[in-house]
Amino acid sequence: MSDPDPSPAESPDAVSVVEVRTTASAALIPTIRAVASDLAARADFDLDAISDLRMAVDEACATLVDVAAPASSLQCTFRVHAEHIEVHAQVRGGTADAAVSTDTFGWRVLQTLADDVEAVRETGADHGAPTVGIKLDKRAGVPQQ
Amino acid sequence: MPDPLASRDLTPPGELGTALNRPRPGVAVLTVDGEVDTLTAPPLEDAVGGMLSDPADTTLVVDLSGVTFLASSGLAVLIRAAHRAGERGHRLRLVAGGRAVRRPLEVTGSDQLFDLFDSLSAALAATD
Repeated sequence: MSDPDPSPAESPDAVSVVEVRTTASAALIPTIRAVASDLAARADFDLDAISDLRMAVDEACATLVDVAAPASSLQCTFRVHAEHIEVHAQVRGGTADAAVSTDTFGWRVLQTLADDVEAVRETGADHGAPTVGIKLDKRAGVPQQ
Repeated sequence: MPDPLASRDLTPPGELGTALNRPRPGVAVLTVDGEVDTLTAPPLEDAVGGMLSDPADTTLVVDLSGVTFLASSGLAVLIRAAHRAGERGHRLRLVAGGRAVRRPLEVTGSDQLFDLFDSLSAALAATD
């Protein structure tokens, strides 16, 4: 592939994408947070940042499983960059007004753990069941001396 | 509405073990092992309730040495327990040696609500 003007800081080749799709069940969140932890460790995140990402992904997934339609899927996409990991977790909402609550203790913890976090919501086309998601970004942390 | 009982029927991959001991009169020690998340926070809440059940206990220790993951749902249980102990005039003592427990406590600032120790022996030796 020839790119006439590749960015030296972050070419598209530098991004690895990992998608995990599970039944939207709390029992499967340990699997997703284990993937998050593994990706962060391989990306040379410092130990606190690995711990923070694992907890943030757990929090995001737990929040979404709570509002997901019965027997629906939880999709979690990790985009692993050189110095940070973007996570986008989403479910189909169980009701037309399903949304992520941002006035909870869990959301405050999520804001503390991630460098950037936002709730995203797309109204569904068919019967109005929305797609509800959480996007977060976590930096690798201070390099070890 | 989520059905909390539906997920409880499944065996969580990270199981939680709890054990309550009274090594001497007035001292209650709750030992917790495993992963504390949205599935295992309810049994932790029950176990903490047991630890707080006897008003004669004046030294309250939760030993989290064996905890390998602590989510906000688990933190919330510990924070409620600290408030209940505080109502009786006691500080809840946490044994939190590892990063898996220390980091969530520190990053949320909730470490201020507890007396933290690196080992159970240190937690039991401390005086109020």
